[in-house]
Amino acid sequence: MKEANEKIRKGLEVLGSGEDSKLLSHLNACVRCGLCAKSCIYYLSMKDEKLIPASKVDIVASVYRRYFTFTGRQLPGLVKARDLDDKTVTEMVDLLFGSCTVCGRCVKHCSIGVDIEYVVRKGREMLSVMGYVPSTLQSTVRSALNTGNNMAISHGDFVDTLEWMEEELQDEVDDPEARIPMDEKGKKVMYTLNPREPKFFPISISAMAKVFYAAGESWTLSTRMYDVTNYAYFSCHPDEAAVISRRMYDEVNTLEAGMLVLAECGHGVRSNRWESPNYIKKQFGFEVLSSVELMAKYIREGRIRTDRGALKEKVTLHDPCNLVRGGGIFKDQRYILKQCAEDFVEMTPYGTDNFCCGGGGGQLAMSEYNERRMRIAEIKAEQIRKSGAKVVAAPCHNCIDQLSQINFTYKLNVKVKTLAEIVADSLII
Amino acid sequence: MAWYNWFGIFSLAICLAVCLYHVIRLIKLGMPVEYSGRSGSPVSGIVYSFTSAMNPSVKESASLNLPVYIAGIVYHLGTFIAGILFMTVIAGLSPSGYHLLFFAFFLFISALSGTGILIKRLTDKKLLYISLPDDYISNVLVTFFQASGGVFLLLPGSEPVFMISAGLMMLYLPVGKLRHAIYFFAARFHLGFFYGWRNVWPLHKQKVDERSK
Ligand code: SF4
Ligand code: SF4
Repeated sequence: MKEANEKIRKGLEVLGSGEDSKLLSHLNACVRCGLCAKSCIYYLSMKDEKLIPASKVDIVASVYRRYFTFTGRQLPGLVKARDLDDKTVTEMVDLLFGSCTVCGRCVKHCSIGVDIEYVVRKGREMLSVMGYVPSTLQSTVRSALNTGNNMAISHGDFVDTLEWMEEELQDEVDDPEARIPMDEKGKKVMYTLNPREPKFFPISISAMAKVFYAAGESWTLSTRMYDVTNYAYFSCHPDEAAVISRRMYDEVNTLEAGMLVLAECGHGVRSNRWESPNYIKKQFGFEVLSSVELMAKYIREGRIRTDRGALKEKVTLHDPCNLVRGGGIFKDQRYILKQCAEDFVEMTPYGTDNFCCGGGGGQLAMSEYNERRMRIAEIKAEQIRKSGAKVVAAPCHNCIDQLSQINFTYKLNVKVKTLAEIVADSLII
Repeated sequence: MAWYNWFGIFSLAICLAVCLYHVIRLIKLGMPVEYSGRSGSPVSGIVYSFTSAMNPSVKESASLNLPVYIAGIVYHLGTFIAGILFMTVIAGLSPSGYHLLFFAFFLFISALSGTGILIKRLTDKKLLYISLPDDYISNVLVTFFQASGGVFLLLPGSEPVFMISAGLMMLYLPVGKLRHAIYFFAARFHLGFFYGWRNVWPLHKQKVDERSK
């Protein structure tokens, strides 16, 4: 009983912390017009009214009303104010972790301007501090906390992979001096990776290394802290997210790098570029850039040259939610593709209106929701099919994973590529 | 001054006092401290949030639900007109002139829009699912406020009904969802700041032809 009360106290503390007016504003603003329904992949795919974004807002807001408003305390029935009991917690887990990719698409379209995604993340934070994160997601966070990367790749295996990729690079550019530098101090760029790369797609490491080689960049990888992801951003545990953020911050400083460059990973870019400074409550004293921005910069500045006809097949672009809606990177990926591909077509819709692939919000890590994840992916499958493209470019390894599964499940017969791969294949060296 | 006018003034005072409390609380809590390096303009984001971001061409909630969106706008305009009428009465002015017919007509139309929205709430499966008793009460109070305002413009003798409906609505405003009269602005402000800071808003032109650059 005492433990249960303590959990409730912790959960409510998230709602009542009174840090600023943002949460209060968004919790009180929804008018339950329901017009956000058609913006959400979950509702569109399953047509279940409990999945509309307003329901996700309201389950958090109903707890807020119960404990923090006069009406909710005195007349809970009038405003359906809910106790933070087991039933509410179970529903919250299912709605906020299992039925939302935190893609933010509904936010732009909300008739009022409720930051639905922010409220969902606050709800996740409540569950997280209470200890109710789905175990699969929590074990991914734990791997990162315990081993320094979310896939628990050992230091030896990682170094072996890098050495292997360095040989590949040397063959590719026909230069025995070409290198993948490790733990070198004082370089201009400290580059990061999504652990999926060393584990499953090492070729994308050599692709980016080839781009750095062509640009003559002064760069290094850290073998201690290279993981661009931060799954605590999805579990929304602020302390755990801060530990991971601080490690990256410290490593850039230890290696005395001038700039942190983030691999193609939507949430990795968002968490490191935008959220990490807030997690650790510190302004970074170095520049933080996504590799997409950096590659576009190289091309614009003439540091690398690409063959505009290198990619002959029709290519379309998947916009990762965290890069575009959550990070304002919209033009660079298009610019890059137009420098490498003959025939680039947009999906419909695209940009800030693009639909999530279904793998965001930690869904790829939460196998208990796999069936749902592949069901909501039908929307993305249709977008790709209608584009008529043979290649889908996606500047995010998580999206690449989901898109590859979509490709298989919905028999799209397309190739799924990162931008670094496309640029590397188009380089004129 | 008649008792129903006093009731109106009393309700207005309570409503304003509680609303002021909400506003002061928001101001006191302030903005979140942002440690990330800014890449856009929060000011432009906020301006965009209150202007172009509301345009149906960039907002599916409007473009995919145009009749409801228009009904909503008419309904809100009706509330403003009825509110001005209420202020006119407590200021001791008696509205007159032919244009009153226009306003009365508009108030009936807006009350009709409100009724339509209520019917939709009662019949649409997803709206029924998310609705709270508060939503129905708020709608009924506002719709009645508008309709009684329209009647009052045509039949001045119905002033007590109008003033009582206005008073009831104002007493209810700070405790239920009508509070969005305040929180709408706060939410849009935060959203504009957030997206502006990250250079998401104002929306980039969604056409990029940079082959020549
Ligand atoms: S569109 Fe916005 S205000 Fe309307 S129900 Fe959805 S979240 Fe609430
Ligand atoms: S954030 Fe995305 S998945 Fe979550 S409710 Fe909004 S549209 Fe749906």
